[in-house]
Amino acid sequence: MTIDLSVVIGDLKLRGPVMAASGTFGYGTEVPLLERRALGGMVSKGIFLKPRQGTPPPRIAETPSGMLNAIGLQGPGVEAVVRDYAPQWARWDFPVLVNINGESAAEYGELASRLDGVPGVAGFEINISCPNVEQGGMYFGNDPRAAASVTEAVRKRTRLPVWVKLTPMVSDIGVIARAVEAAGADALSAVNTFVGMSMDLNAYRPRLSFRTGGLSGPAIRPLAVHLAHQAARAVDIPVVGVGGIMTPEDALEFLVAGCRAVQVGTATFVNPNAIAAVNDGIAAHLAAKGFGSLADLPRYLPRD
Amino acid sequence: MQSRPAVLDAPITASREVARDMWVISFEAPEVAVSVKAGQFVNLGLGGGFLLRRPFSVYRAERDRIEVILKAVGAGTARLLAMRPGETVSCLGPLGHGFEFGGGAKSAVLISGGLGVAPMPLAARDAHAAGLQVTWVHGARTAAELCSESDGDQLIVATNDGTAGFGGTAVAAAPDADLVLACGPNRMLAAVAERWPDAQVAVETYMGCGTGVCLGCAVPLKRGGYDRACTEGPVYRAADIDWAALPSQLHFAVTA
Repeated sequence: MTIDLSVVIGDLKLRGPVMAASGTFGYGTEVPLLERRALGGMVSKGIFLKPRQGTPPPRIAETPSGMLNAIGLQGPGVEAVVRDYAPQWARWDFPVLVNINGESAAEYGELASRLDGVPGVAGFEINISCPNVEQGGMYFGNDPRAAASVTEAVRKRTRLPVWVKLTPMVSDIGVIARAVEAAGADALSAVNTFVGMSMDLNAYRPRLSFRTGGLSGPAIRPLAVHLAHQAARAVDIPVVGVGGIMTPEDALEFLVAGCRAVQVGTATFVNPNAIAAVNDGIAAHLAAKGFGSLADLPRYLPRD
Repeated sequence: MQSRPAVLDAPITASREVARDMWVISFEAPEVAVSVKAGQFVNLGLGGGFLLRRPFSVYRAERDRIEVILKAVGAGTARLLAMRPGETVSCLGPLGHGFEFGGGAKSAVLISGGLGVAPMPLAARDAHAAGLQVTWVHGARTAAELCSESDGDQLIVATNDGTAGFGGTAVAAAPDADLVLACGPNRMLAAVAERWPDAQVAVETYMGCGTGVCLGCAVPLKRGGYDRACTEGPVYRAADIDWAALPSQLHFAVTA
């Protein structure tokens, strides 16, 4: 029996619910061995308008069931993405969303207008975990007004799907989720990495040169499931769950918690074919339980 | 041209101690064994609660087996050393860009410091295949830490404390040659870069995926910016690296 795994997120139809998370799949051209038939979609590595060198090494540190990273959004800038990658994306049979970053709402908006209409760009995922230079380095994602202003700036420049990737480093994720929904977001990705720190007991200083890093991997999964669920309860737009998914069961937890789709990230570092394994395992679970499609999966999403 | 990497379950077949606390472990990994080039590495998934893979230079490759060399410096390497023949690791490789032996060279000197012996048996193999005369200069802190295995037409030994061979560093003991290949602590490689800007050096970095996506293994370049030890490296022209910006003391074994 073939299980229908397709999902609809706003104007985007995905053939399966498992996407590649931003920053863990490059621009889609790097990961060897992946069976692309299983890829529902992909979010590019985060880009800025201008090329960025990234942070000095050490950039990563392993922690119990997780990893810290401070890559610093190294990337070639929007011109190179349009020239070198988008033409390849245009030939692929799954949608590519571009993860966009900026230091001001205007920068996000400019990036969106530069990419809008470029063949191969299927939509945007706004990374609001960037410092807002105009407001003294406060993170856009911590403040509902700043998060909404970025979302609005992008929304005005494009008719393509606009997703917002929420940071977990907030006291009430529902407040931010509602603010960006009201500002025109089509979907939410929940959640980005948690900020963490680890100390080197030989050098007596942080293990990462950047001092702190984003914690990902199974260590954050129950936290991420909870936050994705809280976001899904707060809004009417679809939520895409992300955070520490290694196995099909992990992905199913997010789906049952109210997510429409999921993104797999750090698992790809460990197993280049993790996305296919998660996708196929979801189908196997549904088949074993007698469901003919992912839409039949029961969800736990009580509304207050 | 680099070959396409494979991912396979590789059973451990044997292990042997080659210096104090330094071990060689053999795995059955036929797809890797047939295609690996000197300086390339494998990224080994250990399971058992270790999330990230661990990169290791391929030490030897014969028939359907590969070998890696390691010191027990962290929990991951300790786990590898505790594994018994028949237990498997997940082996992803061969990865990275290895040593080059072209350009009409007639002689090569291989300079290794400590665990920097890791890529040298394959380097000697590939250098011989290219028709080169091979001198291996092998250095360690003290005689007990010198790897007991060597390949090449001539072996020069150096110890920092003078307990065996030349008293001093491997770099100081090394003769000139058409090709200079080196692997060891990054501080040693910086000294190689001073003497032979065109030397090919295999650097060590912390590493995540090994396949070029995570950007965790950043190598600072003299011309500015970073590239990836796992993809453009781990072998570089010595003078191309910004040695002052490359961490020189890594606190767990990464030998790629």
